[in-house]
Amino acid sequence: MNSNQTPQATSSTAADGFDRPLLLTPGQDLSGWAFRNVGRALLFLVASTCILSVLFIFLFILREAIPFLTKSGYLAELFTSREWYPARTKPLFGGWAILVGSVYVTLGALVVAVPIGLLAAVFLSDIVPFRLRQVIKPIIELLAAIPSVAYGFFAVLVFAPWMQNTLGMDTGTNALNASVILAVMAIPTIVSISEDALTAIGREIREGAYALGSTRAETTLKVILPAARSGILAAIILGMMRAIGETMVVWMASGNAVQVPTPWWDITTSVRTMTATIAGEMGETVHGSDHYHALFAIGLALLSITFVLNIISESLLARAKRKRG
Amino acid sequence: MNATLTENETVTEETTPIPAEETSSVGQVIPAVQARAVHVSAAPRAASTADEPTAPPVIRSHEFSLLYGSKVGVRGITMDIYPQSVTAIIGPSGCGKSTFLRSINRMNDLVPNTRAEGRLEVNGQNVYDRRTHLVNLRQQVGMVFQRPNPFPKSIYDNIAYGPRLQGIRGRGALDGIVERCLRDAALWDEVKDDLKKSALALSGGQQQRLCIARALATEPKVLLMDEPCSALDPVATARIEELIAKLRDTYTIVIVTHNMQQAARVSSRTAFFCLGILIECGLTRDIFTNPREKQTEDYITGRFG
Amino acid sequence: MRTLIRRILDRLFTSVAGLSVLLMSAALVLVLGPILWRGATAVVFQGTVEFRRMQLYEFGRGDAEAVKAEVAQATQARAPVYQMLDEFSEGILVEKLSDRAKDINRSFDDQVAHRVDAGTISSEEGRRLGRAARKLRRTLLDAYDTDDKDEALELLDEVLSSPARKDLKNTVAESLFKQAGKYKRIVESVDLTQRDTYAESLREVSDILRELFGPRREDRAADLAEVRYGVTRADQAARVLDRLLWTEKWVPVEPGKPLVKKRTPRAERFQGTPIAGLFSTVERDLDKMLRPETTVYWRFFTDNSTTGHFFGGVGPEVVGTLMLTALAMAIAVPIGVVTAAYLVECTKDTLVVRILRTCINTLAGVPSIVFGLFGLAFFVLWALPGLDLAHGSSVLAGGLTLALLVLPIIIRSSEEAIRAVPQSYKEASLALGAGGLRTFLTVTLPAALPGVLTGVILSMSRAAGETAPILFTAAVAVGPWPGSLLKPCRTLSYASYDMAVGDRVAQRVPHNQFGMILALVLLVLILNVAAILIRSRISRKLRGG
Repeated sequence: MNSNQTPQATSSTAADGFDRPLLLTPGQDLSGWAFRNVGRALLFLVASTCILSVLFIFLFILREAIPFLTKSGYLAELFTSREWYPARTKPLFGGWAILVGSVYVTLGALVVAVPIGLLAAVFLSDIVPFRLRQVIKPIIELLAAIPSVAYGFFAVLVFAPWMQNTLGMDTGTNALNASVILAVMAIPTIVSISEDALTAIGREIREGAYALGSTRAETTLKVILPAARSGILAAIILGMMRAIGETMVVWMASGNAVQVPTPWWDITTSVRTMTATIAGEMGETVHGSDHYHALFAIGLALLSITFVLNIISESLLARAKRKRG
Repeated sequence: MNATLTENETVTEETTPIPAEETSSVGQVIPAVQARAVHVSAAPRAASTADEPTAPPVIRSHEFSLLYGSKVGVRGITMDIYPQSVTAIIGPSGCGKSTFLRSINRMNDLVPNTRAEGRLEVNGQNVYDRRTHLVNLRQQVGMVFQRPNPFPKSIYDNIAYGPRLQGIRGRGALDGIVERCLRDAALWDEVKDDLKKSALALSGGQQQRLCIARALATEPKVLLMDEPCSALDPVATARIEELIAKLRDTYTIVIVTHNMQQAARVSSRTAFFCLGILIECGLTRDIFTNPREKQTEDYITGRFG
Repeated sequence: MRTLIRRILDRLFTSVAGLSVLLMSAALVLVLGPILWRGATAVVFQGTVEFRRMQLYEFGRGDAEAVKAEVAQATQARAPVYQMLDEFSEGILVEKLSDRAKDINRSFDDQVAHRVDAGTISSEEGRRLGRAARKLRRTLLDAYDTDDKDEALELLDEVLSSPARKDLKNTVAESLFKQAGKYKRIVESVDLTQRDTYAESLREVSDILRELFGPRREDRAADLAEVRYGVTRADQAARVLDRLLWTEKWVPVEPGKPLVKKRTPRAERFQGTPIAGLFSTVERDLDKMLRPETTVYWRFFTDNSTTGHFFGGVGPEVVGTLMLTALAMAIAVPIGVVTAAYLVECTKDTLVVRILRTCINTLAGVPSIVFGLFGLAFFVLWALPGLDLAHGSSVLAGGLTLALLVLPIIIRSSEEAIRAVPQSYKEASLALGAGGLRTFLTVTLPAALPGVLTGVILSMSRAAGETAPILFTAAVAVGPWPGSLLKPCRTLSYASYDMAVGDRVAQRVPHNQFGMILALVLLVLILNVAAILIRSRISRKLRGG
């Protein structure tokens, strides 16, 4: 695409006419067109890796889950029965307790994470001066950066013994342990996305409220949070996605007992989650057996849940952006 | 009415007298035009005193329009730009001056959904022809932007950018080009000791001169300047205007400016745009002393804009 | 009044909000603190002579002469302990004593026969001596057999006061009297009915001593490395010493209540015996026997480990993690940056672009274990075997899976960085005649590089820390140094999991457990701090630094 003329003398030039043609030769035209379009196509091909990956992920998980789902009775059993004995000669695949386990620890995590996360987001967006923010943000980023296996390590070797010895529980690996650690992992997500939503609200609304005599608490609670509610809801859902999809922490810290807590508020029960089931049992499964396919079915359930949550949060964030104009 | 303009002289006294009651803010403008203070140090040659140009126009537009989607940028522009002179384009904000300027080197292509109608010829070639050699066009029609935009590279690499595109790689050749352009842009003495310094470390005025030097490096025939001084302080502005005066013998310069006095200072021909339409185009002294259109006169005298 | 309440509530709100940030900081400290602190003990600790011996023979490190000299000194310090032990064992383990007595007698018979042949004594004399010796031996064996203290003492006195003693002087049979004397001392102090219990306790003590000091000269060629050496660290020594000095038993305190652990000093068990002093000797002179000194074991991060991570370091795991991360980056960064460029430069908000964005967001939301499942189903079981590259887990499969995981992160951060480049640079470049591609490569991308780099570093940290995606695709718990892309490898993340819950041996070396997770956390921290620094450099440059 460059002209291949040699430069002229280095003294100050006189503008003596245009020496390079302003019209493309047909050859240049064609090659330029080809280059641009082939280039575009190549770029698109590379970019389509993402699209292909998503497609393939759904495809292959589905492919391995279908043998289980289509076998008569299994699908119903998965969602209704509590008896999960996949290793028996006549295996039972009652996954209800596992499903409940996932939901249980997720909700438990949110109960802790949402208030703390929202309050921290408010603190960062409204209360704190810029310099302090630069100090606090790295703390949040570090919390988010700690690998999940490190959290799990802490949960099982430091937190669980503490709960057993100091609090006198029967076992330190239970739903409470998992929920607390999951909360710590979900908080950074909630804080950062909520904070984005809150700071995007803009000064005018805040100034309007303050001008009417509201205190900061009242402004925040009655004006700003409601205005940002789409973004905040999206943040909570993303935190939920983080909690429900987390594997290592729950595998190490939740106790892995396939049971539904009774009574329902007893969070010191050991539970089993979907992620821990897949992680824990896949290693011992024969490829192609019913158990194998059952685990993929659980994986499919996980994938679907997170996919739906993702769509919801995306549309919430889009709505928030639209409201801001 | 052949008043010779030197920078120390005022516009001819035969300006239309202003009614007393209209003085207020308007009154400030004309006295400023009349009592032009001298801030230009060296004395470049006066603007071209030729009545009418003799050489054929470099740039011609014939009923040229540019539309952004459904919005009109400029409509039905027909004007000529002559070589080795400075043509100024003036007018209130949003009247299409920049749009027209940027059409000349096809920079409007960056905006989505643009559509051009009519002809806009550079050196006889309609630049909106589908088969236009954009690279050659842009290398021979250089542009300087409103806000100085040097690359985040060294001074040397900024200027060498254009030549490198042309395939010039030799150290010696590039060194020569860099020095020539910096001298032509009156920046050499200030930066010659450290060409490796980052361009972003220069002052605003120096950066703009660097951008001019950078544009000169591809040996353009035409220089398009889109309000080059609007982001600069008066001292820097004066130096740029000096530079323009120095360059106008070699290059064809088209300068868009919202500063009428600047147009009067540097240009030999002026075009007045308003709301996307070319109202009037002609010799600068004619436009400023004896405009044909009432709109032009209103703008010059500051009744609007 | 109402205003006052509102103001109080406002203050309360502000403090509660601040409290939440404090809680988060506290959580950070609480989680990282133990890991950093206890992990550091894997690198900095009081190492004993056994540690230096282990380093010499297992890793070929250290000055052989110095180590040998140290070992000699330690052995010397330990000698009295072993002496007491041996003495007592001999007394208790009567089978040995009986066998010894029989051996002595046999040698004596040979000696007598020899002398008779040589003519030193007459054969009749020889027979008499033989009879006397045999009688002594019988009495001695009876003394060994009996449980009754008085009977034993009686028999022993009989032996010791035997008239044949003078005759048997200067012969092999004299040892019989020495034995009798020794045994008498033991009988006097020991309750013979408890002999079996003593034997068992003695075995316990000798086991603990072996754990403490390593095997004695005789059995150094055991299979497992951990058996060949004593305690390598002072903190371990303290724990083992505690087990030596105290016994624990669950005793009932009140009926109906759970049992309570009761500790008694072990020395009590052996009160009055020659071995009673062993415990206080060990306690007093442990430092001389183990010679602890401050050790900084930097090679922890590069050494291989012995079976079960008992000794050594996390070298192979570090290499495995780095290999996987590098592979994942090599795949994801080009694809990610190009995709980001496509999104920024070629957008006309068409349907294609919207689909692309949805896919990127979906990919970002897929749980890590589902990536693992996909990696298993697609790479491990289908694609790689199909291409006849690898059958089963491999670094390649794991790297590909991780690449998919970090791809959305790279795309998002690169897109943000590229968008942040001012449009004016692009305009200037185009106005100088550069085409779109050249503008991107020479102006936009270099300007966006710090932002892209930050995203890449953060993705590296993510990829290094992930465990679930590599569980079924690349990770193994035991194996050689990672080398081939087509074989699975050890990684910091999986090994941390394994050492925390899976490996029973690991529970005995908590410093190595925490050392493993420390290595991972350090790696992640370094990467994140680098990213934060780069980012603040950029923002300072942008704000005109």
